[in-house]
Amino acid sequence: MTAVHTLLAAVDWHLLKQRIFEPNHPFVTALIRTVYIAVVAQILGVAFGLASALMQMSRLRVLRFLSYLYVLLVRGTPLLVQIFFMYYGANLLLGFTLFPRTVNFGLFSLDGVIVAGIAALAINEGAYMSEIIRAGITSIDRGQMEAAKSVGMRYGLAMRRIVLPQAARVIVPPLGNEFNGMIKNTSLLAFIGVYEMFLDAEQGYSVTFKPVEYFFGVAFWYLVLTTIWTLVQVQIERKLGASERPEDEGWAQRILGLPTTAR
Amino acid sequence: MSTNGAPIVKAEEVEKYFGRNRVLCGVSLEVKRGEVVCIIGPSGSGKTTFLRCINHLERIDGGRIEVNGHLIGYRPGRNDELVEDSERNIAQQRTEIGFVFQRFNLWPHKTALQNIIEAPVRVRKTKPEEAVAQGEALLARVGLADKRNAYPGRLSGGQQQRVAIARALAMRPALMLFDEPTSALDPEMIGEVLEVMKELAAEGMTMVVVSHEMGFAREAADRIVMMDGGVIVEEAPPAQFFAAPAHERTKQFLSKIL
Repeated sequence: MTAVHTLLAAVDWHLLKQRIFEPNHPFVTALIRTVYIAVVAQILGVAFGLASALMQMSRLRVLRFLSYLYVLLVRGTPLLVQIFFMYYGANLLLGFTLFPRTVNFGLFSLDGVIVAGIAALAINEGAYMSEIIRAGITSIDRGQMEAAKSVGMRYGLAMRRIVLPQAARVIVPPLGNEFNGMIKNTSLLAFIGVYEMFLDAEQGYSVTFKPVEYFFGVAFWYLVLTTIWTLVQVQIERKLGASERPEDEGWAQRILGLPTTAR
Repeated sequence: MSTNGAPIVKAEEVEKYFGRNRVLCGVSLEVKRGEVVCIIGPSGSGKTTFLRCINHLERIDGGRIEVNGHLIGYRPGRNDELVEDSERNIAQQRTEIGFVFQRFNLWPHKTALQNIIEAPVRVRKTKPEEAVAQGEALLARVGLADKRNAYPGRLSGGQQQRVAIARALAMRPALMLFDEPTSALDPEMIGEVLEVMKELAAEGMTMVVVSHEMGFAREAADRIVMMDGGVIVEEAPPAQFFAAPAHERTKQFLSKIL
């Protein structure tokens, strides 16, 4: 009992409450950064994944080979190593500055380290999305593409109008899980110095040596983000599968991961 | 059923392999404008494969196929051999050829009307209002005016196949290909699809039909083509074909199915 008492007494309840319910300005900035990094990296990751999936289904062997190589390299190495390589290695390897100190996008500019971080996360994500999108496309009956071709549609148009909208229903659930992972993986960018939520917590800890308050606080906010996303995901899936699944699992089951009731 | 002048389909010595398996061993067939040709034969005889070659859903390994005077799927390359045509040209050629699939292949995420107007709007660049008017007329023609906004999942097999026929007709093809259009249907729905096809034939559409429906063949076809083992065994007008088949294999086949 005394041990528990000592432990609870060691917690700075005021600080913990602050970290959770009264986020300060640097933390809010870091949170916003976490969100946009995750969103941009995920969107780019889907684009890379789509390109890679289409390459993998191409008739040209060289495209198939490049896609396999991409997936093999990315999935076979740690994300943290890829992030370090992208930020510290890419400039050296290429012989020119791929990621300068700040990158100007016209309307706004970003720190080079953020751009490098987004690039690493997106490239990593693309390899996983490649497999997910390929599985989605191959799940659609070949007759769908043939029917499109038979009325004179070309491959690209048939993909866009006929195959991908149907494949989306298969792709979206795992895509949602990927984005959930992406939100959490942004924390790895702290190691190259991107000031996102985890780095904010880590810096607070290193000054105060109060790990419980800072890390519990930041974990809480990751949980808030992923929970919001889960709710959004349920709505998206409802819409996509509206005609086919009248009795969908509820949000409580989704968040708590309870088994769905038999249909 | 006027049959005048130049052939609309001209297939010469078509060869096709699946791996090492030779499924078409030199098939030659001419179909005149307005003619209705029924291809029959046991399963594995190559009739569906041949039909799919006509709009280049299958590549061919020898011979040539012309539709409406255009070489299908290929163009002459260097040293006179044929090389596969560009995707754009192949797609263009297919707009002249309607294809009706055994399993309908309607697009399940689009309504009946959307299925029909998709290609006219996206490929032909027809104005949407025009395409809709034409699509509604086609739905009426196949007896499904009231199913305009129904998704394929809510339609019976027979209704789906009639929408699929309307979808093919929407591109105003010069030729319609039917790949066993009633084989996936419940018996009571076969009639409604055959009725639409008979009307189409009566209106003078050029049709090549792979089918086991001998009633349709007898009534609507100008010519019956019997395939077996990747070759055309025999071809004749229906009266002659059914009354006095010349070939032993045709006799055997007819004795099994009639």
